[in-house]
Formats: sequence, structure tokens, C-alpha cells
Amino acid sequence: MTRRLSRRQFVGRSLVVGGGTIALARLLAACAGGNESTAELVIGTPDAPVTLPTIGEPIADNLPSESGTLQIYNYADYLNPETIAAFEAAFDVKVTVSVYDTEEVALSKMRSGSISPDLVVGLTDSVLARFVAADLLQPLNRSYIGNFDNVIAGLRDPYYDLGAQYTIPYVIYGNGIGYRTDRDIDTSVFVGNEGWSALWNPAYEGRLAVLDSYRDTISMALFRAGVFDPNTSDASALSAAADDLVELATLTNPKIDILSYQEIAGGGRDIALCWSGDMLAGVGYLAEGESPDVLGFWYPEVTPTGNDFFSIPRTSTKPVLAHAFIDYLIDVDNALNNQSYVGYQPALEALTAEALINAGAIPDSLVGALVTPERYASGKRFVSLSPDVDALWLDAWTRFTTG
Amino acid sequence: MNGSQRRTHASRTWRGYALPGTAWLAAFFAVPFYSVAAIAFGSIDPIFRNARPAWNPLSWNFGTFGDVLGDVINGPLRDVFVRTVLFVVVALVLCLVIGYPIAYHLARLRGRTKTLILLLIVLPFWVSYLMRMLAWVNLLQRDGLGMRLTAWFGVEHNWLDGSPTTVILGLVYGYVPFLILPLYATLERLDWRLVDAARDLGASPRQAFWRVTLPLSRTGVAAGLMLVALPMLGDYYTNDILSRSPRTEMIGNQIDFFLNAGTQPQRGAVLVLMLSFVLACLAWWYVRDNARQRVAR
Amino acid sequence: MTAYRSRALSGFTWLYVVWSLLPVLIAVLFSFNAGRSRSVWQGFSLRWWTGDPNASLFRDESLRMTTVNSLVLAIVTVVVTLPLGTLLAIGLQRWRGHGAGSSSALVSAPLVTPELVLGAALLLVFTNLYGAIPLGRPAQMIGHITLNLSAVVVTVRARLFTIGSSYEEAARDLGASRREAIRLVLVPLLRPAIVAAGVIVFATSIDDFIVSSFLSSGAASETVPVRIYGAVRGASSPALNALATLLVVFSFLGLLLGGVSMWWLRRRDGERVTLRQFLDEVTQADA
Repeated sequence: MTRRLSRRQFVGRSLVVGGGTIALARLLAACAGGNESTAELVIGTPDAPVTLPTIGEPIADNLPSESGTLQIYNYADYLNPETIAAFEAAFDVKVTVSVYDTEEVALSKMRSGSISPDLVVGLTDSVLARFVAADLLQPLNRSYIGNFDNVIAGLRDPYYDLGAQYTIPYVIYGNGIGYRTDRDIDTSVFVGNEGWSALWNPAYEGRLAVLDSYRDTISMALFRAGVFDPNTSDASALSAAADDLVELATLTNPKIDILSYQEIAGGGRDIALCWSGDMLAGVGYLAEGESPDVLGFWYPEVTPTGNDFFSIPRTSTKPVLAHAFIDYLIDVDNALNNQSYVGYQPALEALTAEALINAGAIPDSLVGALVTPERYASGKRFVSLSPDVDALWLDAWTRFTTG
Repeated sequence: MNGSQRRTHASRTWRGYALPGTAWLAAFFAVPFYSVAAIAFGSIDPIFRNARPAWNPLSWNFGTFGDVLGDVINGPLRDVFVRTVLFVVVALVLCLVIGYPIAYHLARLRGRTKTLILLLIVLPFWVSYLMRMLAWVNLLQRDGLGMRLTAWFGVEHNWLDGSPTTVILGLVYGYVPFLILPLYATLERLDWRLVDAARDLGASPRQAFWRVTLPLSRTGVAAGLMLVALPMLGDYYTNDILSRSPRTEMIGNQIDFFLNAGTQPQRGAVLVLMLSFVLACLAWWYVRDNARQRVAR
Repeated sequence: MTAYRSRALSGFTWLYVVWSLLPVLIAVLFSFNAGRSRSVWQGFSLRWWTGDPNASLFRDESLRMTTVNSLVLAIVTVVVTLPLGTLLAIGLQRWRGHGAGSSSALVSAPLVTPELVLGAALLLVFTNLYGAIPLGRPAQMIGHITLNLSAVVVTVRARLFTIGSSYEEAARDLGASRREAIRLVLVPLLRPAIVAAGVIVFATSIDDFIVSSFLSSGAASETVPVRIYGAVRGASSPALNALATLLVVFSFLGLLLGGVSMWWLRRRDGERVTLRQFLDEVTQADA
């Protein structure tokens, strides 16, 4: 049922609706009050380690462990359901896992309060400074974490968090290229720094992927061009990297996601930029009867390397239990059990590459995916970027993803 | 009460009936739209990069809007906009080519067959869009039946490798039921005696169709196309499910990225405004065209 | 009058029906596959539904919560939008004063807004203005209601138009107050439209995922479509097919419930109702 509107009526009605809306919105905004934030970012780098400001008090010693449900905020498929079940049985509690796709999302959701987990797994120092500045984490009480000395010596006092006030390392990894050995992938290029170019090979069109993580993928282009700084603020280098990535998109039409750990093993793609743990995890996604020899990983000479960590939110309702969970996961046997599903290398002193191979946890074909102490030492770390530099990186990413 | 008092009283009653619903829409539709503008033209917290909306229109800042507009006119976003429009236009044409004959057939049928076919046509409407896309992904995957079928014909084609064809076909498959129903409704209401009259006057069936049926159904077709074009322009999940490659990135994907990947809500808000503007133009053009049609008749 | 018969169009229509429904049927079928494949039939099995202790649908505890979320959202949405929308439709049709046109415009706007825009706007407003309303179920409820309100108004309004005001006037002449006339005469006449609107709202809400995912707060407020969407891009097992089948079953249950209600109501009022009429009601309501 439409009536013909005169122009005057239309303008009149628009003004009424528009004006009314604006007035209502401003009224509501005034009632809501503002949200100010005056925060300082304390960013540590390998050359300039920092002690993060101690905001708030850690929980008291000798508190009893809580009961109920522990809410963990984590990446997908990043904790072994069996290990979780064992923890549930040992402590007579329930555990639920909420999933985030990227750290940025985790940050914004926790800031806005739309999610209040008891424990967060998988954050890296790229976001740590902002989490601390936003008052989201609580200082840890080491007395609950008896297994702390299991952690790799070099990470007990990390540059991004001297004194390990807020974080306990979870896994270590490096960036590289995962591929299938039973498809026609030319492995002769996987030497030195040349291997990155494999992703630009038009023969792999439609069977290739890069990571849905702007820092990792843009760094790959930077490293290929010889710029071995994954935190660069050089606008021209970033622009060149963006150009290279657009070229990659045209040549090989890559998928952009973080599913390579499933897809390469599942046969959906043949080669991808991925994290070293992805290939190790992929063993669990092979078709029935397929040998792990079909999976391969190229670990470049110079590549971004890193670790992520556990941290406990300030608003955690089960802090003692959260500490207990961390302690549980850095026990060597539990960590090994966890690794068998997650794939990534736990950041534990005892679980060196050799130890993992000896324990039968790593198939021979994927020994190259392990992070040895030498590789870790020569790897480059991602650190938090200042907002303007971050904007440059995001612009480059937009240029790539829009095709 | 006298007459005018009664009318005022009546008016107040009806207004009272309409008020709760209107208030709801004002609070949860109009204000959210305004807040998109307030965020798009507001500022950004430098550290956490969350939005700081500017509620007073007089204090609006058009910097980011200008940047994004620049990107749209002459930057990476231009390709995305153009591609989205292209995909939608092609998909709409295909939907029309498939949907119109079916709607026509259905409108002309009588009897029990009509009920049966109507039921079968309406059925996909009640199947979730996701289920229908999932069904296609199943068929198109490497080990899927679709691949086996094309392999049998000797064609080695990976459907899910991120080609625009797959996405467009996905859009068509998903939205064609939404076009058939309004078309059917229009054609059902058509006065078929006019077609009979044309035949009596000597027109062949084809002439009768092109010169009588089609023009008569024109407003209905336009309405149906509008009804489908609007959601299709904001579609991002079809691409997400069937492709995920930069070659098929649509404007909805960019909005989803900016808002849900948490990094740049202000840019997301600006893009939402731009998309809404394009849609409003489309709707405006349609309404004007419709009004003009009515006057002409 | 020339009888209509067109074999070409008939064939084309059947081809369309097959193309439209067959993939879905295949997907449902393969949810009962004994093996992991989705293209090679390896035997019938309920493994993905209840059998497999790790991967099957009904053994998955988080799925219970997800399904409950979907159902709660759908039911609450129906319960709120039907009265709100009906009142709005009645009021709008008769309101002749200032602001009626603006209100009508406000009601029409959501119909031409893509869900992405609505979801984005709601997300932004809940995180920047309506801080008191947390993301998750409360926000999702509001989003679903807003999404569906206009559809109810349109459906009821169409019926109002055909009913006209003569019945009410007759009731008024016989001494009923305006409110009584509405309650005892108009609303019963509107019942078919209200039921049809309810069916549409239920199905829309159950199948919705854009607004649900934009306004979700994590695993606790996940709905079935959101979960499917998250899983469909990865390596999925036939359990996902089973989940999607569940979704379809819910919408059909809603449709069935609506059909039965309509039949029962009409029967109680002494009318006969055919499947055809029900289909017409539902399709006209959307067109």
C-alpha cells in the first residue's frame, strides 16, 4: 500500500526521523557517560627487555582450589581434549573452551567485557603490551606453579615480561612452508632463503594458502625480499611487500586462513605458509592409513620465531584453578600428551627436539619442523608495533586481501 | 463525545498501539544506524584503536571517511566495490533467467500439480542458507560428487579453488528461491484475460508473451530484483564458504574483517555507510521508477 | 480460454526442483554414512548422530548448549515480535496523525537493509552506546526481534487490508468498545496471518547467523548456524551434515507447527483449510 509522497512530505518526514534519532542518540550517550583511556604502552624488544608495570596484586598464597567450571579462551584445536579431560578428572572440575580467531579480536572482546574468561592461552608479545595497558591481566603467583623450572631457561625471564609477572610460555614455533611430498612440489628451492619463492610459483595455482595473519604473511614477503626485520617501519619496504603479495595473489590465487594444519593433511591443499606446529598437528588429520611421510616442512635459515603464553585475566573467577591448569600443562608428561594433538613444541627444557624424537612424538619426515635452540636463537621475534606503524602494516594487508 | 473528539481519541488509541513497536525500532534500528555514522565520523583511541563515537554532528571529523573514499575511488577498495556489483549483476541476471520461467509456469498451472510444485519450490526457503551452501561444498570438494561428475566428463577442475564462477553460482543457488516467490506472486495476480485477448487479436504465443505478459509483470520483476539485490550486495558468507581468496573478495568481507577481526571499527563503520548509501541510491531509483511507471499508466 | 500446457517449461521446472533440492538431500543422506567420506557411500550408520563417542552429534555436550541457545532465541523472538508487530500493524494502519508516516517509514527500513548492515550497526551500538546490554544472548535477542519485527508488520498489514473495517464497525454498532472490538473480532480474523508470521519469524531466527555471530560473546552464546559456519570451512566430518540436518528439521518443525495451528484454528472457526491455502498464505506473506 503505497501513497505518492509529495516532496515536502518526504523532506518533512526525513527531518522528523533523522532529527528524532539524533536527539535520542545524544540523550542516550549523555546518560551512558564517556569512556576515557589514558594508558602507556610498555613494549619490550629482544635488545631492550622491559619489566612490565605491576598492576594490582597477585592472589594470596595457599588458597584452596576452586570448584565449578574453568573458562579458557584459546585458539581452536589448541589444547588436547584428552589432556583437558585428564585435568577435569584430577581436579574434579569442568572446563569449557571459547575460541578466538586472532589476538586482536581477543583483545577487543575482553576489553569490551563481552567475554570474561578465567584463563587465556595463546597470546603473544605482539599484544601483551596492550593487554597490560588495558588492565586485563593479573600478576601471577608463582607459588602455585611448581613446575616453573621446567620451562626453557631462555624463556623464564623473557624480554617482553622480565620476571615473568604475567605470562608463562606455552609453545614455541617458527614460520616456514608446509607441503605435501606426494604431490608435485619442487623441493629443490627449499634452500637458504630461496624457498619463499615457492609460493609465487604459478604451477601451484589454486592449491596454495597463506596465513590469515597480517604480521606473518607480510613478514614472509619482507624476508623473501631480504628485509629480515618483522617489525619494520620502513614504508617503502612494506609497500614493496604489498606489491609482491598482490603479485602472489595474481599468480597463485591463495586461500587466506589458518586452516592449513587440517587442509594439507586432508588433501585440500598442497603447499602453504604455516607455523611449524601446523605440520606436526597435521599428522592427526591424515586420512586413515596414510603415512606421515606425505607431510613435509621447510624451516628457513632466517625466519620469524616466537612463543606464546598462558595468562590469567584480572577478572578471572577461578584464579587458583587457572594457576593449577598452567602448572598442569607445563608438567613434562602432560605437555607431551598435549603435544601429540596440538603438534606445537612445548616450551619446556626437557622436551628438546631430540627428546621429542626419542619419545616417538615426531615422525621422521617432520624432524625439520622442530625448533632447536640454535634456530630459536637465530630467529626473529615479532614485537608490538606502535599504532602508526601498525597502520602501515594494515594498509599493506588491505591491498593484498582486496585482490 | 462529539465527532472531532472521537476522532482525536481514536487517533490517540492507534498511536498508542503503534508506539511500543515504533519505540523499539527507534532504539534498536534508527539509533544504531546513527551510531554507525557517529563512529565513522568520530575518532580513534590511539592505543587500543577502538572507536570513540562523536555524537554531536557538529563535531564530526571526516578524515577517515576521506581516506576510505580515496581508497574506493582510486585504491584497493575500488576493485572490491566493482567486483561486488559485477557479481551481483551477473547473479541477478542468472536468477532472472532461471526464476522467471519457473514463476510463469507455476502461475499458469492449475490443479493439484500446482500445489505439489509450489510446495517443492517453497521448500528450499525453509532450508537454512548454510545447509544449502554446505550441501554444495560437500559436492564441490576434492572428494565430492561434483568433482567426480566433472572428472567423468574429462574435465579436471577444482571448484573450490577460489574462482569467481563458483561464488557467482553459489549466489545464484542461494538467492533464486527469494526471487521466484515475488515473481510468482506478481504473475499469479496477472489478468490472463489480457493475454487471451491478445491471442484472440491474432498474436502468436510468443508475441503475446513479449508484448503483454512481460510488460505487465515489469513492476513485479523490478520489485523482486530489488528484494534480492539488496541482501546480495551485503553478502559475505557465500564467498567465505565457497572461496576465501582475494580474487573474490566482496565488500561484505571487508566490512566483516574491519569489524570482527577487531582492528579498525572506524573503517568498518565508514564502509557500512558507503554500502548503505549505494543501497539507498538503488532503493531511491527504484521508488522513483515505480512512481513514474504508475503515472505513465 | 486457451488451456495452458508447456512441456518445455514443465521439464525446466522439474529440473530446477531437482537442482535445488538434490544437494540438500545428498547432504542429509551422507550424514548417515558409515565412513568419513561425503561422496563415497560406505554403508548406513548412526555413527555421526549418536554412535561415535568423540565425534557424534548427541554425545557432544557443547552442542546441547548451542541447540538450547538457538531454540531459546527463536521462541523468545516469536513471543515478542508477534504481539509487538501486530499492535504496530493495527496502529499504523489506522493512525492518521502526525508522525504516522515517519513511523511507517521506520518500519519499512529494516526490510530493505541487508543483514550485514543491521548486524554491523547493532554490534557498534552495543559496544559503544548501550553498554548496559552485554553481547551474547541479550544482544542477540534484541537483534533477532529487530530483524523480524517488520516482517510481522508486513504480513499482518496485508491481511488487515483485505479484512477491512466492516467487522469491527459492526461490533462497535453492537455495543463493543474499541478495544473489545479489536480483541474479540479483529484479532481472531488476523489469526492466520499471525500464525504465518510466527512461522516465518521462527524459521528466520533459527536459521539466522549474521546477527547471531556479530553479537555473540563466545562459546556460551553460540547458535547452531554460527557453529556450522565456523566448522564448514575446515575439514569437516559427516557430523556437520548431521548438525545441518538438525537445523533443517527445526525449521520444518516450526512450519509443521504453524500449519497444524492454522488448520486447528480454522477448523475451530468452522472453515476448511487446504494445504494450498496455507502455502499461499506463507508465500504471499513474503512476497
